[in-house]
Amino acid sequence: MTKIILNGREIEADPKQPLIAAIHADETPVPHYCYHPGLSPVGSCRICQVEVKQGEMPARVVVACRTPVAAGMVVNTESEGAHKARKECLEFLLKNHPLDCPICDKAGECTLQDYSFDEGQGVGRSVEPRRKLEKRKSLGDVILLDQERCILCSRCVRFFEEVPKSPQLVVSQRGAHSVIETFMDRPLTGNYQGNIADLCPVGALTLKEFRFEARVWNLKKSASTCAECSRGCAITTEVLRGKSVERFRPRYDAAKNGYWMCDTGRFAWGHANSEERLAGSAVRASGGGWQAVDTADAIESVRDLGALRADAVVIASPFLTVEEGRELLELCSALGAKPSFVSPPANDLKDDLLHTGDPCPNRRGLTDLGFEAATAEELCERLAQAPAALLVGERVGELLGDGLAELSDAKRLVALECHLLDIPAADICIGVPNHVERTGTWINIDGIEGKIGPARQAPSGVWRTTRVLSELCAAVGAGARQPLAKGDAR
Amino acid sequence: MVVVKRKELTLAERLYLPEILRGLSITFRKMFAPRVTRQYPEEPLPKNEVTRGQPRLVVKDDGNIACVSCGLCEAACPAYAITIDGQETERFIEREPQRFDIDMLRCILCGFCEEACPKDAIFMSDELELADYTRKGLIYDIEKLKRPASALKRRIDYVHKINRRWPTSSST
Repeated sequence: MTKIILNGREIEADPKQPLIAAIHADETPVPHYCYHPGLSPVGSCRICQVEVKQGEMPARVVVACRTPVAAGMVVNTESEGAHKARKECLEFLLKNHPLDCPICDKAGECTLQDYSFDEGQGVGRSVEPRRKLEKRKSLGDVILLDQERCILCSRCVRFFEEVPKSPQLVVSQRGAHSVIETFMDRPLTGNYQGNIADLCPVGALTLKEFRFEARVWNLKKSASTCAECSRGCAITTEVLRGKSVERFRPRYDAAKNGYWMCDTGRFAWGHANSEERLAGSAVRASGGGWQAVDTADAIESVRDLGALRADAVVIASPFLTVEEGRELLELCSALGAKPSFVSPPANDLKDDLLHTGDPCPNRRGLTDLGFEAATAEELCERLAQAPAALLVGERVGELLGDGLAELSDAKRLVALECHLLDIPAADICIGVPNHVERTGTWINIDGIEGKIGPARQAPSGVWRTTRVLSELCAAVGAGARQPLAKGDAR
Repeated sequence: MVVVKRKELTLAERLYLPEILRGLSITFRKMFAPRVTRQYPEEPLPKNEVTRGQPRLVVKDDGNIACVSCGLCEAACPAYAITIDGQETERFIEREPQRFDIDMLRCILCGFCEEACPKDAIFMSDELELADYTRKGLIYDIEKLKRPASALKRRIDYVHKINRRWPTSSST
């Protein structure tokens, strides 16, 4: 570590890092568009200019992202010269940037907008018309390019070169004619395209899935963990008006995903946004249809049904958290049953970067607890022979597959699911929250814990899975148990 | 103990009539003075360009509303009366509202939406009356909010005039 002086204070700086990293580590704001901590610095936008005095040389304005840290540097981010340089730079960046903010999906989280608000001049001095370029250029299935908004920072170009190591975008033409393009207008490929929409400091690259879906300031953001593979990337879940999940975005985690995430995880809100949620619980009516009941009543009926017995098969979902797993183990030990979880076969999405190809986000956590991993076919065979069964966790029915539908009607089957498990064998379905509605811990393939956080509330009739399990545990063999309060929703 | 002695009345006061005449003179004077009360609703209230009635969406000459569903009025609204969902359109402006609802029961007629709008799409009309049999009927959608620019011209001109007093670059 080296000592440098920043705005009159002495700070520690890493000499291997560019100056801007040291300034940001000190939480001193310096705007930056082309610089990104996960990519190599190029110094193309020139907005991070600061004043540096070194040795006997007079102070001069340099770009902080291309200046290495050196001992004894005196850095001033707020000097008149630095402000003037950044202001002039900003004026040039805005010269051809359209006044699209009311339409642009980036508005609200756009750093160009933020910095123009802080330091911009409010009035354009340019008399020439702005560049006219393509505004809706499709770059494959994921990304839409607006060439007019582009400030040519080349973050997206460097991302494809450096992170997935499959160069696909280029800055073609020269000078004022420069545009971002793919070779021969070929669509982008790969599972990491969505990252360039996050990287883009302006609204030039936007997600087609998110296009005009919501204004970003209306989204409630909460930290969570991706459910799509056993990497467990740190993500932010963004929910609109407490209802639909609009985006999953990567959250920096040095140990797991760095700054990135794959498109499979990014667009995996289909299940979480599904309309056919079980808003409470349901029991099989005498006619064969389903009757909606309170969760407290449903737990009562589980006891009456007699499904909680030693020879019952207990199958967990791979989405079960460690906390829920522990509670389920309690129940299993009370029953004398052996728990296992559905382990779907590895998919072909495995790559060298992030995706592990294993669709169980908590495989490590559940195996460490003592759950046995078994395939859907194995489990369905076991189910066919058992007189009673308990299926626990979101999507467990979907993962067990078609084998469930063939189970006989006589079986006593209880499911704790997000969706109604409409198979002949099912007798009671108790609604549980899905992974955007509950808290808990998943342990990823490397043994690193990842917290999942509630981004929205579960329907009011739905109890926490841990609570349902502990109530069921209390119901095992306890004839004299106090009945549950009916009005108590959770 | 305090003894308050009653005031001795004068002759004129004891006569009673002069006071009656004094009161009646006020009555007759006011009878012929100009009236300040109004027979609302038969007689409508005076309205001018400063009147802030309910917000309305301007329909441009091409038949479309100017709104691009940027959500700034929604963000500015202190009463959370506005809800907007956007959608893609083939027109040059790229985005238009799929849903633009104003809950008129929540609206406090503050005019912040008009001030926030970067596209001159929403203006305070001079419509003030509001009645319906259901609450739902008072959540106005795009069709109920649409007004031709001619109907709002006075207000539009007025807003443009006062905005010129504080010049900004967002004059598009």
